[in-house]
Amino acid sequence: MSFLEVSGAEKSFGAALVLGGVDLAVAQGEFVSLLGPSGCGKTTLLRIVAGLLAVDRGTVALDGRNITGLPPHKRDVGVVFQNYALFPHLTVAENVAFGLKAHRRSAGETKDAVKRFLDLVHLSDFADRSVRALSGGQQQRVAVARALAVRPKLLLLDEPFSALDRKLRETMQIELRRLLRELGTTSVFVTHDQDEALTMSDRIAVMNRGAIEQLDTPEAIYRRPATPFALEFVGLSTRLAGTSLGTDDGIVLVETALGRLRAPGSFVKGAPVLLAVRPERIKIGAAENTANARLRDAVFQGSKVQLHFEVRDGDQLMVETSDLPQVPAPGSEMTLGWSSADTLLYPAP
Amino acid sequence: MKAWRDPVALLAVPASLYLLLLYALPLLWLLAKSFTGAEGLTLKPYIEFFSDPFNWRVVWNTLSVALWVTLVCLVVGYPAAFALARAGAALQIAMLVAIILPLSVGVVVKAFAWQIVLQRNGMVSQLLVATGVWDEPQRLLFTPPGLVLGAANIFLPFMILPIYSVVKLIDPRLLEAGATLGAAPVYRFVKIMLPLTLPGVVSGLAFVFSMAVSMYVIPSLLIGDRFQTLSTLTGRSFLFMRNEQLGSTTAVILLALAVSVVVSSSWLARRLGSRA
Amino acid sequence: MTPVERLGRGIMWSAAIVTVVFLMTPLVVTVAASFGSSSVFSLPPPAWSMRWYERLANTRGLWPALLVSVEVAAFATIVALGLGTLCAIALVRGRFPGREGVATFLVSPLMLPGLVVGIAMLQGFKAAGLREAYTSLLVAHVIITLPYVVRTVLGALSLFDFSLIDAARTLGCSYPTAILRVLVPALGPAFLTSGMFAFLASMDNYPISIFFTDGWTKTLPIQMLQYVEENPDPTIAAISTGLVLLAVLVLVVGDRLVGLRKLADF
Repeated sequence: MSFLEVSGAEKSFGAALVLGGVDLAVAQGEFVSLLGPSGCGKTTLLRIVAGLLAVDRGTVALDGRNITGLPPHKRDVGVVFQNYALFPHLTVAENVAFGLKAHRRSAGETKDAVKRFLDLVHLSDFADRSVRALSGGQQQRVAVARALAVRPKLLLLDEPFSALDRKLRETMQIELRRLLRELGTTSVFVTHDQDEALTMSDRIAVMNRGAIEQLDTPEAIYRRPATPFALEFVGLSTRLAGTSLGTDDGIVLVETALGRLRAPGSFVKGAPVLLAVRPERIKIGAAENTANARLRDAVFQGSKVQLHFEVRDGDQLMVETSDLPQVPAPGSEMTLGWSSADTLLYPAP
Repeated sequence: MKAWRDPVALLAVPASLYLLLLYALPLLWLLAKSFTGAEGLTLKPYIEFFSDPFNWRVVWNTLSVALWVTLVCLVVGYPAAFALARAGAALQIAMLVAIILPLSVGVVVKAFAWQIVLQRNGMVSQLLVATGVWDEPQRLLFTPPGLVLGAANIFLPFMILPIYSVVKLIDPRLLEAGATLGAAPVYRFVKIMLPLTLPGVVSGLAFVFSMAVSMYVIPSLLIGDRFQTLSTLTGRSFLFMRNEQLGSTTAVILLALAVSVVVSSSWLARRLGSRA
Repeated sequence: MTPVERLGRGIMWSAAIVTVVFLMTPLVVTVAASFGSSSVFSLPPPAWSMRWYERLANTRGLWPALLVSVEVAAFATIVALGLGTLCAIALVRGRFPGREGVATFLVSPLMLPGLVVGIAMLQGFKAAGLREAYTSLLVAHVIITLPYVVRTVLGALSLFDFSLIDAARTLGCSYPTAILRVLVPALGPAFLTSGMFAFLASMDNYPISIFFTDGWTKTLPIQMLQYVEENPDPTIAAISTGLVLLAVLVLVVGDRLVGLRKLADF
């Protein structure tokens, strides 16, 4: 049995089904992200695990104990809220001490823990400041220290970086990940930002319409998205509609606007399919799958160049490359190619 | 000193001058006169006032009624302010109407209505008999409890609204955060909600207490002459007794009370504000 | 939900219901009493009747008092809107020391005992040679209405984004047009609510007006209190019902124009 085990969690608000029987298992010390667009149910799932919301059906178990019916203050689950929810009437140190005092820890123990966790988030010098005087990044670190100071069995993070600017966000992601790894804290992290999920997670659960579509490592999710939704939500891709011409030895021949393309899979002849390929997998020059296209736009992005091609019938093809000597001029005709192994194939949605 | 020549500042002159001449100056004059006797500066009127046990009774009446009114308003108003902030649309509208509508109706009207309600066969009496608290109907009109009930009714909105304006700004996630940190409901309320609502409570207490200290129409109608407060005594000494000396003395005591409530409450609010 | 939380909720919702019933009681009682046939107030009345309303027409002193009250309240509200708005603009836009002090001073009549303010003004006016009751009432009631206007308009102005006026000017409005098209609509609700509450405060005032009345000039609350003391019959309830109706009207208009929740802003 896993450390955190959610089984068959179902939740409706009125007539709207927000969570349709979700299963989620997280191992001890693991960092799992719930990734999905707003309204996919990820925050609902997090609130159910925290005990802030009751499930309609299903169970939540933590460390071998069924906690489904427990109120939040008896669960040993810490939460870092999206807006941090710091207590405005308390100082930084008092915020961190709040949970320890609520747990009736001794004064000495409380003091030591506050000091230790403020050190860990580099805020020792701010202990006696009002939390309102802190910057966004500092507030976020207080929220993390406050949640961790009681040493919860599980830490939940609800989009904790969304209020920070990009540069700070990247630094904080790395810092937080390191801290949680050092402490060995099991964490569930809610985000709609794929980069955040890819950088931080041991595993990612891609959620859509109240269900987990794929639960896997970041690499697997990027390389082998299980569903068209996961493909579209994580990373960029070129997607083409096509029709299967039949399967031979695990390779499907697909008729598309670009011509006949090959992809691994198995589809009967005549089945409508969706064929996709990641932009960095496409090279200039012929390969197993080849297409001729006219360059419409070239976007210089520093470490790489993004090329947008136009093919017949208005279909578009996106290529990302970092080994062009110079950015090509729009309008030129090029031959593009990629291997069949890099081609993703799904039943047409 | 260029700041003084900001022409926009001149727009404040008419109103300030009006108040200065017609309000501040008379008040200062009243204050000065109450400390001046035939032979210059004196405290004689105050010494005389406080050497009369009847006047101590008046001060006690004033403060005890004001404290009771404030207490009743706090006990009903504090939870009601939470309800107002959290209520669904229908109840919220009902509550807002019930709070704002009486505010727009004159004190004389409401005090008159309480004369009816507090009669021997009035609603309160009937209610208390029906619930078994009283064995037989009694008159509450012209008694201190009746006065407290009527005044609390009239001032209750001034307790609810300041607390409500604070409660509605409190992020509900703070309580959730408290819960996930292991705090039980009572602990959450005491350590999070109570301190955060304190500024609203302070201003509500200040409003109600200062209004209850200086109310005039309500005691005139609900308790009558046998029970004097500083305010009714002031009014009577000017309007009926033509004893301006006594009236000025009580007026200044009232003023001092009101100003000290305002000053101390705003000091307290600022202190709480710098913490909260 | 734990039992403690359930108890807390119970207290909260009971307080809500108690509040609504408690606060509405005087209004409901007044209206009910005014339609009772008996001259003794008993609820519910033995029979319903309109006789107290029929008496209103020949109630001595009622209509003149109402007229005085409305005139005084209207005058005081209009003057306060003018003076108060100018002052609020100075306080928000002006750069001079002691602005906070001025603001507190202008709102202070709200917080001091009306009776004391009335006595001070009575003596002051006497000393200045102003003895005429009606004029004194007009002058004194501006002090009652001004704080409402200053407080509300100041609040609205400090939330107003003055760059909107610049924006309007870059879009082709002259400065006065920009003020008229941008600032005035933005302040409209503040004018309206503060004007309404100032008007009602003036209409309702007793402790200041009492010092500026004589045999001929009485405001409505003073006349009504006199009825209550001399001859308490349901005619007073009928007058009161009219005032409740006025309050309902004000509330409806206020709700339409600025919303109930806004009216409760404190």
